Amino acid sequence: MDDKTKILEREQLDIEEPLRGADVELRLPMVTPREPFPIEPLTVDARQQTRAVGQRATRPDGRLHGLGQTKYIDDLKFPGMLYARIKRAGIASARIKRIDTSAAEAMPGVMAVLTGKEIPVNSFGPSFQDQPVLVDEQVFHAGDGVAAVAAVTEQIANEALDKIVVEYEPLPAVLDPVAAMREDSPKVHAPNSNIYATKVIRKGDVEKGFAESDHIFEGRFATQMIEHVSLEPHAAIADWDANGRLTIYATIGRITLARSDIARTLKMPMSRIRIVGTIVGGNFGGKNEITQEPALALLSKKTGRPVKGLFTRSEEFTSTTTRHPIIMDYKTGVSKSGRIIARQIRLVLDGGAYCSWSETTLGKACILSPGPYKIDNVLAEAFVVYTNKTMTGAMRGFGAPQVCFAYESQMDDIAKALKIDPLEIRLLNAFDEGSPSPTGQVLHSVVVKETLNKAADRFGWEPRS
Amino acid sequence: MTDVTVVVNGQLRGATVPPETTLLQLLREHFHLTGAKLGCDVGDCGACTVIVDGMAVNSCLMLAGQVDGRSVTTIEGLASREQLHPIQKAFEESGALQCGFCGPGAIMATKALLDENPEPAIKDIRDALSGSLCRCTGYTKMIEAVQEAARVLRSESPKQLTHAQP
Repeated sequence: MDDKTKILEREQLDIEEPLRGADVELRLPMVTPREPFPIEPLTVDARQQTRAVGQRATRPDGRLHGLGQTKYIDDLKFPGMLYARIKRAGIASARIKRIDTSAAEAMPGVMAVLTGKEIPVNSFGPSFQDQPVLVDEQVFHAGDGVAAVAAVTEQIANEALDKIVVEYEPLPAVLDPVAAMREDSPKVHAPNSNIYATKVIRKGDVEKGFAESDHIFEGRFATQMIEHVSLEPHAAIADWDANGRLTIYATIGRITLARSDIARTLKMPMSRIRIVGTIVGGNFGGKNEITQEPALALLSKKTGRPVKGLFTRSEEFTSTTTRHPIIMDYKTGVSKSGRIIARQIRLVLDGGAYCSWSETTLGKACILSPGPYKIDNVLAEAFVVYTNKTMTGAMRGFGAPQVCFAYESQMDDIAKALKIDPLEIRLLNAFDEGSPSPTGQVLHSVVVKETLNKAADRFGWEPRS
Repeated sequence: MTDVTVVVNGQLRGATVPPETTLLQLLREHFHLTGAKLGCDVGDCGACTVIVDGMAVNSCLMLAGQVDGRSVTTIEGLASREQLHPIQKAFEESGALQCGFCGPGAIMATKALLDENPEPAIKDIRDALSGSLCRCTGYTKMIEAVQEAARVLRSESPKQLTHAQP
């Protein structure tokens, strides 16, 4: 009874507590804004230029960059911070027989050593979780980490790496992606097939198209592996506090994906992990997933101190993702006038040791492989295969630049053989407004012909046929 | 241990460091000037460029002991509290800084160039920036920025002013 009266009394009171003067300023207005938010989304017509075109814009962070005041990971330092280095396998394919870290652990200044066996869930990856943080049983490529060291200086950590003894039993390495597709090839991730993703696009009937064609052109095009070489190397600082909460400062473009990957590898709830994405000194797709972060976190847990890891430039080349080399077979049937009637494409993407963003790259490369041309009969098949090489992943364009090199090279070959001006043959075949893409998407804002004409005009293209 | 006494951005500084310490480590770890960056550690990328006695150097390739008694200018020594250095302003406004990691090095390389040659041809600019790798800008914006900075510096210099006043 008494309690009830109390509650009633309290309800009758003015519930709005008096706020301190400073806080009044921070309160949101109690009345609804006079102008409602637009319910209709603001869209512009396909070809209408917005006001932003032609405007000069400067970066909001440009000032700090120019002053040298931007703090990248390597510019941060925490009290008691340790430096981590990772021992790389240096062998393309092998079984690990033994890892002896005792000599490294005994070194003065070495605070902790970590091997793959100590990682709760030793695998990660955006599509397939096939990549270990540190390899424990088998080495899949030469840049794999086998052990990590945290020491008071980087120099001691480097010396400790030399004292870690790893015994390998070499296994046959798969280096050629086309050979890797054969049934009898050694398997990179046995017993799974080396072909780990495929995509096929079919439109019309290529055989019928080739039969109707006057000329058939065949060619094989290949591109090489490319590293992003962002100026800032991969770097991270992990701080596992006494409360069991983990803070990671990382040069990563996708912090939410990184957070879930780290939670998975460390087998801890995501709510206990905080990722601070600092300014990234160049990404280009190379900093879209975690690399050493779980290892740093565990080293921090072992030592109770913050741990910084910074890749060397050579690790950037061997142990981070690269652009897919693609072997591209093109068969194109054209009419006498140069009109493309059918195109058959087979892409073999060298996926390296782990999937990473290969599935995404495979899809985009396959969809874009026929080129921006109106072709009624298309068959594009794409495969991505494991090899014992540095893993390939996201890089600007996700496979688009490679296939562009192939189809444009072949367009030039066709133009030359048929004695047609290279510009003419492209204008003859290029997409128009409303053309369907190879996957049937109706395209809008298509200005490829206008662009070609304008470019030809600007740089003084003279017909060479 | 090596004793180093060096003028950094006009201030006399001293440090006692292990003999293998590079100039870059001296600046970053002992003087807390983190503007110069570690990009490759082998003198290829130029992110660590600073000026030693008027000459642009890769500070990752120079030992701290070698700058004893000399004068070093870093990116932190260009702007004053009141205003940006014209090179910094030009880099910012031309969009020559994207991720910004190569910026301090490229700006210092530019400073060394313009101190020597106030009217550089594009070839001279390309030469001066050839040691500063950049993966974002494609260099065209940087070259524009250097040209703009050179223009501003020429119009600001006292010699030019006396010319302008008859």
